[in-house]
Amino acid sequence: MVMNTDQHILRAFDRDLEAVQALIMKMGGMVEAALDDAATALVHRDEELASRVRQGDMAIDALEEQVHAECARLIALRSPTATDLRTVLSVMRIASSLERCGDYAKNLAKRATVLVQMSPVGGSSASIARMAKSVQVLLKDALDAFIQRDAKAAHHVRQSDQEVDQFYNAIFRELLTHMMEDPRNITPAMHLHFIAKNIERVGDHATSIAEQVIYLVTGEVPEGSRPKADVTSTKEG
Amino acid sequence: MNDMRMENRVDAQTVKIEARKVQVHYGTTHAIKDVDVDILDKTVTAFIGPSGCGKSTFLRTLNRMNDTIVGCKVSGRITLEGEDIYDARVDPVQLRAKVGMVFQKPNPFPKSIYDNVAYGPKIHGLTRNKTELDEIVEKCLRKAALWGEVKDRLQSPGTGLSGGQQQRLCIARAIATGPEVLLMDEPCSALDPIATAQVEELIDELRSQFSVVIVTHSMQQAARVSQKTAFFHLGNLVEYGETGQIFTNPQDPRTESYISGRIG
Repeated sequence: MVMNTDQHILRAFDRDLEAVQALIMKMGGMVEAALDDAATALVHRDEELASRVRQGDMAIDALEEQVHAECARLIALRSPTATDLRTVLSVMRIASSLERCGDYAKNLAKRATVLVQMSPVGGSSASIARMAKSVQVLLKDALDAFIQRDAKAAHHVRQSDQEVDQFYNAIFRELLTHMMEDPRNITPAMHLHFIAKNIERVGDHATSIAEQVIYLVTGEVPEGSRPKADVTSTKEG
Repeated sequence: MNDMRMENRVDAQTVKIEARKVQVHYGTTHAIKDVDVDILDKTVTAFIGPSGCGKSTFLRTLNRMNDTIVGCKVSGRITLEGEDIYDARVDPVQLRAKVGMVFQKPNPFPKSIYDNVAYGPKIHGLTRNKTELDEIVEKCLRKAALWGEVKDRLQSPGTGLSGGQQQRLCIARAIATGPEVLLMDEPCSALDPIATAQVEELIDELRSQFSVVIVTHSMQQAARVSQKTAFFHLGNLVEYGETGQIFTNPQDPRTESYISGRIG
């Protein structure tokens, strides 16, 4: 396990590596903002904000492409090894994770637009917004761990994903109750359920980013299954 | 660590050469310090490290090429299949027939292509007649992937071949005595990329019969051709391991600095 932060003899190599990591941070910032805006649009029934999130996803996709192109160039021109190689590999995987998170934010915004046309289902939007907030924190912590090369912080993110799972379980039950109470709730509750599921997926991607950080720092992929608290697929509601 | 790639890339785990506490002094210079290493059979082992780190010196201890250097003192124990190669009863010439060597600059004898390959078997008395010698020459030139290019001009001088061909001729010459180990000191540094690729392909094929040890300044070459890599620094063997591991996850910061091109 070695992390080397000394400069390369060829300084252009350092500049290339820094540039591609700067793209990741930019992407991360955009995804966090998209999630935040989409959740706000859901709670405040703000169609205009939702539409902006949907349009913004294109920029996130373009950044992923750019990261992949830069990484291909780095591999071809610099033949990275050791920490440098692990940096390039993890950057590519993190970019893909972030791109997926951007898609989930976009889907949230799409459903938020549909939900504006329907009557609200209890206080579910607010619970979902809280869940989105906690996932955003997780994503931010994972990206901070990446920049700081902090395997300990990454382990912490990996352990914390179960809080998101617990959020999801609670929302799942809440929505089930609303649907049983009044069948007219079924359509909006289904949309809300997909939203909750997608946010839970963002949490999984934050975990996978954290795992990439652990690989980058230690050279080893974390072993053993991480703690999971999503019981909705194993128990009856 | 997942050891599947070890099984895939290193076919045999039999130790061919065992070095223990090897020290080399050139006069007052301590060139090799306490090196322990197991060179595996049917495996390509690469020695890498900055200039002056001792990798070539160590390579040369494996067939006693340092014997001829005045003021050079080798201590410790090096065994080839359990036999101490520095034992007083060992004839260095016989040893070098078993542990062949290919150098940085192709150095064919100023003789015909045929004679270059036939020389070793002749002086070691490995053949009884001309037919057998012809067979050995053809077999070695084929193994060295040179036969097709020279079969119609075996009597032309070896020095008339291109650089890449000359190096393959030297490899054919080295394997003509039926060695068990082939040492290569920067065998491609004077070759163009195509000739380099041909020699690398040859090294990979030779691995099915011999243990190959190669000293190289090209980290990419070490990564391409070897299954085991040893990193030398200031006369020490810093790290020795599976090549894939050395290039993705080295355990010593000095290895990391060197292979990733940093100021170490």
